[in-house]
Amino acid sequence: MPIYRSERWFQAGLALFFIVMGIIMLVPMLHVIALSLSDSHHATTGHIGLLPQGFTLDSYKKIMGETRIWRSLGVTVYITVLGTLISLFFTSTLAYALSRPRMPGKPLIMKGIVITFIFSVPLIPYFLTVNSLHMLNTLWSIMLPTALGAFNVIIMKTFFQGLSSEIFDAGSIDGCSEFGIFYRLAIPLSKPVFATIGLFHAVGQWNSYFYALIFIRSKELYPIQIVLRGMIVNADMAGWVVNVDTTYSAETLQAGVIIVAILPIVAVYPFLQKYFVKGAYVGSLKE
Amino acid sequence: MLRKLQSNAPLALFIIALPGMLHFIIFKYVPLLGNVIAFQKYDMFRGISGSLWVGLDHFVTMFQYADFANILKNTVILSFYRLVFAFPAPLLLALLLNEIIHTTFKRTVQTVLYFPHFLSWVIVGGIFIRLLHFDGMVNDLLSLFGLERTYWLQQVAYFRTILVTSGIWKEAGWGTIIYLAAIAGVNPNLYEAAMVDGANRWQRMRHVTLPALMPAIIVLLLLRIGHLLDSGAEEVLMFSNPLVRNVAEVIDTYVYRVGLMDAQYSYTTAIGMFKSVVGFILIVGLNRLAKKTTGESIY
Repeated sequence: MPIYRSERWFQAGLALFFIVMGIIMLVPMLHVIALSLSDSHHATTGHIGLLPQGFTLDSYKKIMGETRIWRSLGVTVYITVLGTLISLFFTSTLAYALSRPRMPGKPLIMKGIVITFIFSVPLIPYFLTVNSLHMLNTLWSIMLPTALGAFNVIIMKTFFQGLSSEIFDAGSIDGCSEFGIFYRLAIPLSKPVFATIGLFHAVGQWNSYFYALIFIRSKELYPIQIVLRGMIVNADMAGWVVNVDTTYSAETLQAGVIIVAILPIVAVYPFLQKYFVKGAYVGSLKE
Repeated sequence: MLRKLQSNAPLALFIIALPGMLHFIIFKYVPLLGNVIAFQKYDMFRGISGSLWVGLDHFVTMFQYADFANILKNTVILSFYRLVFAFPAPLLLALLLNEIIHTTFKRTVQTVLYFPHFLSWVIVGGIFIRLLHFDGMVNDLLSLFGLERTYWLQQVAYFRTILVTSGIWKEAGWGTIIYLAAIAGVNPNLYEAAMVDGANRWQRMRHVTLPALMPAIIVLLLLRIGHLLDSGAEEVLMFSNPLVRNVAEVIDTYVYRVGLMDAQYSYTTAIGMFKSVVGFILIVGLNRLAKKTTGESIY
């Protein structure tokens, strides 16, 4: 089909629109990067745009020298890695069983899962449940209750159903039990969906702060998001020793911690992107 | 025993599913049943079985309380803004994205638009708070044009705009995925037939793409409305401060603040229940309406 002149104008207009949109998406982040790399004098008097003024790495040096940042990063890595493994265990076992034709009570269980889409879990009773399991102020309270979600189960179940059933039948003829089929056949064949759900969950775990806010009391157990929130919302800068003569300020430190908390997301984003469109697509079919 | 288990596939499958099912029961259904404390004077040390039953007292208190009217109003207004501005944003973006011919450019744009979805609300809040600071970049830009600097975050008038705008910034790009997937599923013959019939771009969008998107739009809209009274505590808590509390207090933050911080468990559970019941009625009612008028429904 020839490209008409009007089409070319339309495409140019679209390109312009999306370039503006892209700038709107990127400018806030560039600004925060610039702020984190500026010195306190320029940062406090404001007026930093997209380029650092009075370039210095001092706020990062200060952040990297703080045990609370390292500790909270450690906590976050821990809850992300272990929480994701726990989540994959619960999600894959349930999804696998539900994908098999001989699973007893399947329609009822599926209904039970879909209902949780409509009724969100009430906050106070949820809190009291976690409390009565003696998980308050432990990292289990952030990792365990959030491990299983209806959406992920449905995505995984759809994936397992898409695997060729002949392989499973062959496995069972060769004397594999259901456990064996799950462990030896289903899991190795399902790396893409494990990666998708795993990455989704990992990002969610890395990012969530609300459950940590309600369940975690000890400062030693604070994830990075809670520490960062303290700095931003409560202006909790006590102990950061921001003097007049330092080259970092409250502003540049906040910006620096924001960047530190974004970096891991930036690092996994290319891998995420490979998988998420498929995952979201499967989800949208079923929703 | 093990041999028997191996030959009994349904039992084995049930055992495989057991951890997941128990998880659902403990962390989804037990809290749902825990809603009964809304009818009690719940005492943490006595538990549900030992606490006094008070019937509908908490619901009566709730409706008489002026605070409740205010948080309900704030919640509904915020939801309404989101419905009007945030809900159509991904749809419009997806329709426009779909028109881009150049594949590499399209992919690049998508990569950039999706990214903010993966940032936490603490980070998005932090970024916006920095931008909107009195000495921040937004005010710098405005003063370039000779406009006055404003304390955006401290003013009641801007709170909802900030919340809805940052939400759009974070989620609009991501929301396009579902629509793009639906568009990708449209039979290309339909477009060719429309073009042969002389349909222009606008007519093709109106008569081919939009009808194809209708199921997705209706399902998403129903789910959105079913969660009309959910405001997202994570995001509201990032932007609320004592100066804007009057408009920033929504059901979710109220339940968090009064329920958890002040340990008013029963009263706020009643409010939470009110929220779910309204959501349930809306979703069931609108689902029926949608089924009747458009043939689409979520169940």
